[in-house]
This record gives sequence, C-alpha cells and structure tokens, in this order.
Amino acid sequence: MGRILLVFRLVLADVRRHPGQAAMLLFAITAATAALSLGASLGGATDALYRQTRAATAGPDVVAFSPGADRNMITVLESLEHAPEVVAHSGPHRQYYTKLTAHGSTGAAVVQAAGTAPGPVDRPLVTSGTWVRAGGAVVERGFATALDVRVGDRVTVAGRSLPVVGIAVTAARSVYPWSLGIGPGGGPSDGGGLVWLAEQDTRALASSNTPVTSFINLRLRDPDAARELTQHGPAMAPAFTDARVSFRTWQEIAEQDSRMLKGSQPILVIGSWLLGFLAIGGVATLAAGRAAKQTRRVGLLKAVGATPGLIATVLFAEYLTLALLADALGLVAARLIEPSVVNPSAGLLTAATGPTGNTIALTTIVALAVAGLTTLGPTLRAVRTETVTALADSAYRPQHRAHLTRLSALLPTPLLLGLRLIARRPGRAVLHACTTATTLTMVTGLMVIYAQPAKGYPGSPMANDLRVAQEHHVILAVTAVLIALAAVNTITLTWTTAQEARPTMAIARTLGATPGQITAGLSTAQLLPTLPGALAGIPLGLLLCLPFSGANTTWPPLWTLLTAALAALPATAALTAVPARLAARHSVARTLTTEAK
Amino acid sequence: MNEFDAVLRVRGLRKEHGQGQGRVRAVDEVHLDVPAGQTLAVTGPSGCGKSTLLHLMGGLERPTRGEVWLAGQRIDGLSERALARLRRRSVGFVFQSFHLVEELSAAENVELPALLAGRSPRAARRRAADLLARVGLAARARHLPWQLSGGQRQRVAIARALANEPLVLLADEPTGNLDTAATRDVLRLFVGLRAAGQTVVIVTHDERVAATADRLVSMRDGMFVDDTRLAGRGTGRLDGQIELEG
Repeated sequence: MGRILLVFRLVLADVRRHPGQAAMLLFAITAATAALSLGASLGGATDALYRQTRAATAGPDVVAFSPGADRNMITVLESLEHAPEVVAHSGPHRQYYTKLTAHGSTGAAVVQAAGTAPGPVDRPLVTSGTWVRAGGAVVERGFATALDVRVGDRVTVAGRSLPVVGIAVTAARSVYPWSLGIGPGGGPSDGGGLVWLAEQDTRALASSNTPVTSFINLRLRDPDAARELTQHGPAMAPAFTDARVSFRTWQEIAEQDSRMLKGSQPILVIGSWLLGFLAIGGVATLAAGRAAKQTRRVGLLKAVGATPGLIATVLFAEYLTLALLADALGLVAARLIEPSVVNPSAGLLTAATGPTGNTIALTTIVALAVAGLTTLGPTLRAVRTETVTALADSAYRPQHRAHLTRLSALLPTPLLLGLRLIARRPGRAVLHACTTATTLTMVTGLMVIYAQPAKGYPGSPMANDLRVAQEHHVILAVTAVLIALAAVNTITLTWTTAQEARPTMAIARTLGATPGQITAGLSTAQLLPTLPGALAGIPLGLLLCLPFSGANTTWPPLWTLLTAALAALPATAALTAVPARLAARHSVARTLTTEAK
Repeated sequence: MNEFDAVLRVRGLRKEHGQGQGRVRAVDEVHLDVPAGQTLAVTGPSGCGKSTLLHLMGGLERPTRGEVWLAGQRIDGLSERALARLRRRSVGFVFQSFHLVEELSAAENVELPALLAGRSPRAARRRAADLLARVGLAARARHLPWQLSGGQRQRVAIARALANEPLVLLADEPTGNLDTAATRDVLRLFVGLRAAGQTVVIVTHDERVAATADRLVSMRDGMFVDDTRLAGRGTGRLDGQIELEG
C-alpha cells in the first residue's frame, strides 16, 4: 500500500511540475481516441438508431406502394392485408407529391393523409407539439430541421398556409431527403420531406390533380423475412406478385439511411489513423525532451534506495495514467459528438448507444500503446543508467555531421544556427516533416471533397445533399483537430529543441549571436523540414482520395494545393516564434552556470 | 592613468540576486580599471562574486547599479542585440567547463565566432587553423570535444575566444577542471597572451594562475579587499614557477 502511495505521490508531483506537458499528452491522445471511437462506432450506428426508432414508432416491416388512388389499386393493396404472412396493417393511405414553402424557400414534399389516431403499424412519434389535427401540419423532424421549422411556425403546403402543430419521427420512410418513398409513377424519388395533414385537409389536394400514390404499411409474422418475401413473393405468397405494387422493406429503409454516413466513416477512420500518428509523434517528442530530466530524477531516486522496478513503475505510471484518462475523455467526447454525427438529418431518434466493448478495448489499447511505446525507450535508458552517471546527467551527445556543418557555414547566421540545430537531432526534423505531411494530407483531402460540385435535387433547391454536407462537416472537424494537434506538436518540438539546445545557444550568445538570431535559428530549425513535409502532403492526400474517386471526381487546381502547402510556412513561423523567443531570452549566464554544475 | 587608457572600466558596480529577505549582493560597489595589455587576476573564495563580476564585464548579465565601460563605450545599458555584437568583436570568453559545442569538431568550434561575425567560411577556417596551431592542437582539429582531454578542450576554448581578436579576454576559472599537467599547458598559453599584449581578466582561486598576472585583485563578499601589482612582469619568473611545479 505504501509503495502504491509513493508511486502515486511521485506521479502527482511530476504532473504538477509539468502541467503543460501533461495537458499536451492528454489532448493528443484524447483527440486520437475520440476520432477512433467515432470511426469505429459509425459502422452499425445508423442501423442501431433505425432499430430504436422502428421499435418506438411501431415501424412497418414492409410498405407497399401503388401509383394513383383509384379503386382497383386500393383493392390490390387491401388484398395484402389478408396475405398469410401479414399479421397487422395500417392503411391503405394516400400520399400527395407537392411543394412546401417555409421561411421563403420552396421544396418538394410528400403529404400523407393521417387520421387523428394512427393505426397499429407506423405510429409516428411526436417529439415536439402534438399529432395532426384539422388545420395543422406535422412535419417530419429531419425535414423540419432542414427547413429550420418549429412548432408554431407557418408553412405553405400546396398553396395553403398552415401552422406547424407538431414535429415527429417515423421509421416508415428513409430519413430526409429520401423521405418521398416511391415517386408518383411508382419509381424512386428523392429530395423531399414528409408532412402529415389531417384527412380533410388533403381533400383539396385530391381534387386538384396532384400526383398521388397509395400505400399500405404491413407487419409480418417474421420481420426478418421481409426482403425474401418481397423478392421471392410468387413462391411464398401470391399476394406479393402484383406487378403494379412496389415494396419497400424495413431493411431497405435502414440501408438507405446508412448511406448518409457512407462518406463520413472512411473520413473518420483515416482521420483517426492520422491523428494517432500525430499523437505518437507529439508524445514521443515530449518523452524524448523529458529524458534528460528523467535521468536526473532516476539518479535521485536510486540514490535514496529506489529499485529499478519501482523507478520504471513511477515513470510508466505517469504516462499510462494520463493515457487512460485521455482514453476516457476521448470516449466521452465521442459519446457526446456521436448523435450529431450518426444522425445528421435528425430523422431518427437520437438515443446514442455509446461505444461498444470492442471500441473501448480498441481505443484503450491504442492509448496505452501510444504512451507505452513512446516512453519505453527513455524509461529503459534512465533505469539502466548508473546512479552516479544519472546524477551527473550525462547529456545526450549529438552526432557530428560534418557535411551539414560545412554547408551551414556558407549560410547567414539564422540559417547556420537552424541547420546546426537540425544536425543535432535530424530524427526530430524528420518527425516534424512527417507531422506537416500528415496535416497537409488531410488538408488536401478536405480540398478535394470541397472541390466537388454541390448536388441538389431538381425542384427542391433547399434540399441540399445532406450526405455531402455531413462529409464536409466531418472532414472539416477532423482537419481542424488535426491542425490543432499539429500546432501543439510544433510548439512542443520547438520548445523541446530550445530546451535541449539551450547550452549550445547560450555559447553562441557568448560568441556574439544576438537573441534575434537565436530566435530565427530556432524557428528555422522547424521551418526547414516544414517545406518538404508540406509538399509531400499533397501527393499523399491525392493518393488517399484515389480509392474514393471516380470518373466524375473534380480535382482541385494544383495552385490551390500548393498555396495551402506554402501556407504551412508562415503558420509554422508564427507557432515557433513565441517559444523560440522565450527560449532566446533565457539568461546566458544562468544557463552556463547551471550547465557547469 | 586616465579613463581613456583603460580598455575595461567599472564604476560603482553592484549586482543583487533574489528579492526581499533573500536578497544577496553578489557584487558590491566595485570600481576597476583594466588598462590595455594588462593581465588581471581576480581571486577570492567560492561565492564571493568573482564570476558574476566577469559576467557583468562581458555583458552576460546586467548590473543592478553602476557602470561598465568597454573601449570607451558604456555597455551596461545596451540592448541584448548590441551587447551580442559587442561580444562578437570585443570580448572573448573562457569558462571553467569549457562550454564547447559538443557536436562540432575542435576546428568547427574555433571557426564559430568568426562565422557569427560574418567572416567568410574560408577566412574562418584559416583563422581556426592558425589558432589551433598556436595552442598546439593542429593535429586534433577534427577531433570532437569528447575525444579531447580536459586540457586540450580548454586550449580549444582559448583558441575560440581569440578567434575575433577580442579587445579583452575574460577567463572564468580556466584551470578549475584541469589536472596539473593540463594546468601547466593552459598557464603557458596565458603567459604567451600576456607577452603578446592581450588584455586578460582571469577569475581564479588557483594561486599558480594568479601568479601569471600583472595585477591581483582579491574579492570577499562582493567587494574588492586588496589590489596588488605583481612584480617581475616579463622576467620569466612565473614561467619558472610553472616549470618548478610541473
């Protein structure tokens, strides 16, 4: 117990001494695990939401549509009520294809005639306001969200102004903008939303030659057999053989809904890989930067009798505890963000299920791996170092790179200092180049997605393609987090470089280098690897987009990609300026005195 | 001697560290003139303010009060940038811990001040070769600091300090980390510098080093307590002492 308490106290003391580093580690791993959790949970998320909505609204197993509303067609639909597989039904009802105007914009809408008390199959769940009544409209929630319509607002349906009395969700149709079901002629139709009106309010539509389709909602004895039944009806149920009737099973509706996230999932999965890479880079830099201080700390602990095992526990415990905390934060963040990601149209009930056990295991393994692998080397080195050597803090001895040193002698002082700083730790420059390349890869992906022409629906200008809008939101969010993490990494790299090179820079100051030259040198050490990294990011980003592209893909012009890559230079200069300036202002005399001890 | 003869001039210099109750006066009302060509040794016990005085005279620290003049220019109020430029052309530093750049060879270390001063790489290289030859390390020019002995490292540091032909060389315990043989090598260099007319201020508590000086100032608690001119400059007496001890 005393041992655990000691480890806890040592870890806590170190976190208190370096709160910025702890925050950086938390941020890096949280971002990666949140993206990973979201990406992993998107797979069946929409399906789960649809099933919940279906259960809550008594959703149909099959919806049968037939064009028109004449008696013959109604009879055909009514004959389905008596099919042996059908155990319940509601309808037949009519739905009219018309226009709806709200807040000045007009779009396609399908109006369902609804009774004041819904039937046993498809009982839309009112999430706001009340169910239909004469003279009032209920708008499907996805449609209402797209129109920014709330209860009490007025909408114009087929030229008639009506108040919105309720907002509801249903599982009988795909989410907006795919709510129209089957088009007026019995074919597919997209780009519209669903509105329920009282039976008497639809009479005007019936008498005005508005395109109409009849439909009936059916519940089957075996819901899972719905697809088989509608595809192989002749053999199984003669009632399902009429060529004038189209069927929509609940599985097809669910599949259509999941199309909404078709583009978002790869963005999140790939984004989480890239975020994971940046997290590894950032944490590795942090761990390496702290290695020298850790060695001294290890020397002190050994000197007072701590065993290598206890020391390794202390060193690992800090990073692993922070990694587990970050993992939990990432999972919570993903849980909070998930509803808006998996249900962008708001057409389904948003009772988010949270991450599955597999997702939790995956993110935890990744978080622990990032922390463990990046701290393993420095920890082992520190533990293996002899006590006296550790106390003396045998500094990292950089390699002599004669070619780079000779080349740098030809350059102005800031470049000379920058290049020599790179020569001290070339691996770090490569890491920075990779960080920049990773960021630009994502930025290129973002630019490719944004370069695609906007798709709308004819006759329904307000019905934007929500799927594309969702992709835009997701890639924008992932890119923003990626840029933020890259920025934190750049600052960490600059600060770590400045800390490690502090004695060398102090010597340069005694030899006549000005603080400005030192600042510029430290910035240059980050800027030089930025350029190749940024340029490499463009082809990498295009390569990443290639599997998702087609003949119609629009590629952004090269100059815009190059501009984005070159923008990384001033961005890096700005990010490095403050830590470099702070490091350059450190007292030369104090540095040299400390180093001499 | 009037004030224009002094390469280095200090008036009423004070340096305080810390605040409130913990305030310590490291240098306390020091007055000093160092004429051109003089080798001045500042001695005293550890913590008496010798190194702080040296840092103040070289512009590495700013005084709390008082004036520092170098070659007729008051430097205590200069900006960091101006101080850096001043150090570049007028001041050479030698430290107890050598403070060589670990990843640069001996020659590259010596070239560095010349490069920072804007000299061409070729001129810097030539100057470094000359200086390394002068300190007897021409054969070790390509060696990295960790491949050199302590005495050799200090000789490289001295060569580096002389790269831009400074007006004044400031040496902080230059033999503090050296064994007897290495100390003797370094002392020979200082004797040579004195003979060449180089202005040198050496902070030391090694009597052998102090004995190479023209003048000896003793410090205690931040103040000068004694100022002695040593006889026998140029007589070879000190060289003799070195030989005897060696």
